[in-house]
Amino acid sequence: MRGNRRDVLRGLGAGVALVAMPAVVRAQGADIIRIGALNPITGSGSPYGSGMQKTIFAAAEAVNAAGGAGGRKIEIVAEDGQTSPQAAVLAAKKLIEINKVSAILGTWSSGVSLAVAPLAENANVLLMHTSGAPALSTPKVNGKGLFFRFHANNERSGAAFAELCKRRKFTRPATMAFNNASGIGNVDGFRKTWEAGGGKVVESVVYEPNQPSYRSELQKVLAANPDVIVTGSYLADTTIILREWFQTGQAVAWAIPGWAVTPELIRAIGPTAAEGIMSVDAISNEDDPAFKAFDAAYQKAMSKPGQSNVYAAECWDMVNCLTLAIEAAGGSVDANTLKAKIREVANPDGQKVGSFAEGKAALKKGKINYEGASSALDFDATGDVKPTFGAWTVEGGKLVQKYKFQA
Amino acid sequence: MSYLVLVQNGIAQGLIIGLAALSITLVFGIARFPNAAAGDMLTFGGYAGLFAFSATHSLLATGLAAIAATALLSLLMYYAVFRRLAGRSAVSLLVASIGVAFMIRAVLGVSFGHGQLVYEIELTRPYIVGGVRVSPLDLKLALIAFVTLAAAFGVLYMTSIGRQMRAVADNSDLARVSGIRPQRVMASLWLLAGALTAIAGVMLGMKTIVAPEIGWEILLPAFAAAIFGGIGSPIGAVAAGLILGVAQELSTPLVGFTYKIAVSFAVMCAVLVFRPRGLFGKAEAVR
Repeated sequence: MRGNRRDVLRGLGAGVALVAMPAVVRAQGADIIRIGALNPITGSGSPYGSGMQKTIFAAAEAVNAAGGAGGRKIEIVAEDGQTSPQAAVLAAKKLIEINKVSAILGTWSSGVSLAVAPLAENANVLLMHTSGAPALSTPKVNGKGLFFRFHANNERSGAAFAELCKRRKFTRPATMAFNNASGIGNVDGFRKTWEAGGGKVVESVVYEPNQPSYRSELQKVLAANPDVIVTGSYLADTTIILREWFQTGQAVAWAIPGWAVTPELIRAIGPTAAEGIMSVDAISNEDDPAFKAFDAAYQKAMSKPGQSNVYAAECWDMVNCLTLAIEAAGGSVDANTLKAKIREVANPDGQKVGSFAEGKAALKKGKINYEGASSALDFDATGDVKPTFGAWTVEGGKLVQKYKFQA
Repeated sequence: MSYLVLVQNGIAQGLIIGLAALSITLVFGIARFPNAAAGDMLTFGGYAGLFAFSATHSLLATGLAAIAATALLSLLMYYAVFRRLAGRSAVSLLVASIGVAFMIRAVLGVSFGHGQLVYEIELTRPYIVGGVRVSPLDLKLALIAFVTLAAAFGVLYMTSIGRQMRAVADNSDLARVSGIRPQRVMASLWLLAGALTAIAGVMLGMKTIVAPEIGWEILLPAFAAAIFGGIGSPIGAVAAGLILGVAQELSTPLVGFTYKIAVSFAVMCAVLVFRPRGLFGKAEAVR
């Protein structure tokens, strides 16, 4: 009996060893760098998420084709953040604890980025995001300086809305904001710049997501007789609000973030109701070589032009910027080393480069300055970029670009 | 801001919640478990109606197609899942219904994508009645809701199968010994529950958008209304839906739009403190 039990135990032990082995073997593969892609495949961010994820894979493929970063191959582990902080936190935990990623790329909504941020900070993992909430670059949240924002800070987008309203000579703006960090950040940024310029905001409303109707909210804003309503909103709620607004019959202009004014929105409310709606968003660096490379990759992956997804362009830059930093650090993935190297390879002074392969070659000679597909990609001390904004107007069911400005 | 406008908005929202709550309360009263799939059945109805609407542009055809498709789905759910679990604890059935809910949502997501779809209704200017703007669409939807409710109550209180359903809800053992065939009652129950969520789905879809998550997000208020109205009470569910909707909108001049949902739940809690069985619920002895 005793012998038998030993055999059984030995067998069990061997079994456990067999099961455990792949993990051990994997851990020894020091020439692989694992990077997490945490994009909004479902939820409010779904119009952009798939394109962002596929772009990250395509960019990593280009890096590996050029021999990898610091001699190490890049492996992308993708998860769906569902545009939901709860789901994204679970996914981030899995990426950090099980996949042992060195960086998390492409969190989209501010709610998600703010929820994932403490996990990344505790684990010393870099977080590169496309969110707007100003809080993400404050010392309270980004104490270790591990977070990099590839999109416009809402304070800057808000200032861009103020610039647009000034150019269009509006005098009585009102605001409507989706109740989250990004929605409120956008209209607060607008108010700050607008009031600093001596203007007044006649009414402002913050509304809850997922309501069957926003008529009461609209009524309150329209009662103040604004000449323009500036929003911090997403596609679904914007669709509902605009449909209800059109049915009230009261004339007013709208200035809405670009991520909500998509062809889907115009289709949903019809060209008559959409006519004249203005949108503001950061625009890609379309004349740059990096954008052309991104555009080609995006066309191949999504069969759509690269201009249609500014967040995907930002994801393209995330991979290039991160891998160039790793290359400059000689293959190190230590977050504290990389956060300095990222600024070194992306900010001015140095030879301008537009791709990983180009940058890798130039690094052998000296300093480089990666010029991205999404913007010139120069990070300030808080980890923010300073993108260029575009303003569009819907004319005959199509978005027509009217202005281009820095804010 | 005119209070009449707020009441009108509250009624429009309350009708959708009330219909979903009615479906939940019927299933709870007769099959005796909280059906967490009600929200996703609603979503399914919204999609079914959307396709019918694109094809026909007729409200009647849309309503009927949504009812037919969702009632069928509901019946399928009963035969495939809930009938097999009959007699198990309410918790097992609740968990099973959550599973069914996930499946419906996943299938809708895979089939039609996660992006939003909309009913391409012509947006019309409002009627102005005594200074209050009334949207023609809301009027039509309210009419549909009232017709649906009248039909549902007609089935429950004026037909033999309705009497049998109420008998099972009242005392299932007594109903069985009186010769009521539970199978037929259950099949009718699920058809009716499906039809009610379908109309709620069409209404919600027409007012807002159609996406895989819309029903899941309205499930909580619908459950709240079912409990508030007195679980198992059809009239109570509808009344509670309307009260929650109107209370929520009327509170907005005082508390703003961010906290209106909290106010409607506070009203519910206050009522339940003084009347734990809900508005119309019967006190029930625990066996």
